[in-house]
Amino acid sequence: MTIATLTKPWEAMSYGFLDASAKRELRRKMLKAIAVPGCQMPYASREVPMARGWGTGGLQVTLTLLRPSSVVKVIDQGADDSVNAASIRSFLSKVSGARETWDTLEATILQSRHRIPEERLRADQVLVLQVPNPEPLRPVEPNMSVARQMHADADYGRLWLILYEQIVRSGRVMQGAAYPSLVNGRHVMTPSPIPRWDVPKLHMAQHLTFLSAGREKRLYAVPPFTRVEPLVFSDVPFQVEDHAALTCHRSGLTGYFMNEIPQGDGGSQFELSDSNLGIKAIRQAEGADARIGPTWYENGKTS
Amino acid sequence: MSFLTAVPLPDAFETRTNATFEALMWALSRPGTVQDLPAPGSAGIAEALLDRECRAFCDDPALADRIATFGAALVPLPLADHCFLALDAGLDRLAQIAVGSALYPDTGATVVAQARFGTGQRLRLTGPGIETLAEIALDGIAPGFWALRAALCRYPAGFDLFLTCGAQVIGLPRSTTIEVL
Repeated sequence: MTIATLTKPWEAMSYGFLDASAKRELRRKMLKAIAVPGCQMPYASREVPMARGWGTGGLQVTLTLLRPSSVVKVIDQGADDSVNAASIRSFLSKVSGARETWDTLEATILQSRHRIPEERLRADQVLVLQVPNPEPLRPVEPNMSVARQMHADADYGRLWLILYEQIVRSGRVMQGAAYPSLVNGRHVMTPSPIPRWDVPKLHMAQHLTFLSAGREKRLYAVPPFTRVEPLVFSDVPFQVEDHAALTCHRSGLTGYFMNEIPQGDGGSQFELSDSNLGIKAIRQAEGADARIGPTWYENGKTS
Repeated sequence: MSFLTAVPLPDAFETRTNATFEALMWALSRPGTVQDLPAPGSAGIAEALLDRECRAFCDDPALADRIATFGAALVPLPLADHCFLALDAGLDRLAQIAVGSALYPDTGATVVAQARFGTGQRLRLTGPGIETLAEIALDGIAPGFWALRAALCRYPAGFDLFLTCGAQVIGLPRSTTIEVL
């Protein structure tokens, strides 16, 4: 062993920002996360030039995957042009030379805060979800050592209790986002605060999903063709948001997840949450060449 | 062009380890599919995954020397989180592979071994990553290994297996149910 074998030439910055040892640790944990779908794997969560809680977990997974031929799309609640999404996307391309895109069909890596695009993801695409709170048991068990034991025992009864109490109090399941879901029949995960509308998109999907929480230092994964079943009672079926009949006031599309825009007269208008789908629909209507891929929902129903 | 505006380029090491990891990631995500590694053999896999934070077991002295240069500690089999083994004989010791526990599934080992694809024992795979079922044929693995694996991998505890054949790799995570045909 010589000094030369232990050192390497000077570089202004590691490719993809993270240094090699950070990437190796993430790789090891990402493989374990794939091997045990839905099970939270601890990782070191290095410093990145962004505050914890703003998507650092997703950022580290994306940085590990990036190479010069990658095409990255970053969305924040469905929008490509929010400050958070635009900043992360430009950082990713700056440190890796990867191409930026808004188009779900073009992207190889999609990093997302709290939405899954409406267009179906393909087998060669990786979805990276930013997770604020990875622990589905936290509302019922604040002690994380006890929660770990409950995961080990598949002791999830208290999660049904949450849903039961919501039904008793309100007459229906009130869990709007981060709906607890059983992965591969063994581990309950929180699918990050995606709306209920998006949970069926993870079930037996073509694509690979990583969910990573940088502040909480845990990551987990949903491999392709893995069962993701929302927790339900046998007599209370899982229901997604009632958006099927809503029409986007800008693009005219119907049957997708909508943002509600309150109006001065007390009413509301709706617009597509997946903003680039709306942009493509508008450009199509104007006669431009914008291809919309097959979507998970058609006319408000999963297809 | 200043260092702040220059588009960074990966060096050969980064390109190689990134491509190796991508092959491993898709191999484990779609058990039974054959993925292409950038270079043949297990050394590239060790290079992409191992460093001073790891404890490795290796029964090939040449590869063990290579692994030592990555910084991993060479330890006896039960203590190793990454095992580079021959699976064609010596089944008794394989029962010592670390499988973690239901409490800490991440402490289950990653096992890398060589096999020949497309001939020999036929296996039927089901589980996450496989839409219905997949069939593969593997040669160069002791007949009793699959029964031993089934006994050791009590999900979510277990070990994850990468089999290489030249520059090709097949991943068999612990979540895959293997039926010997």
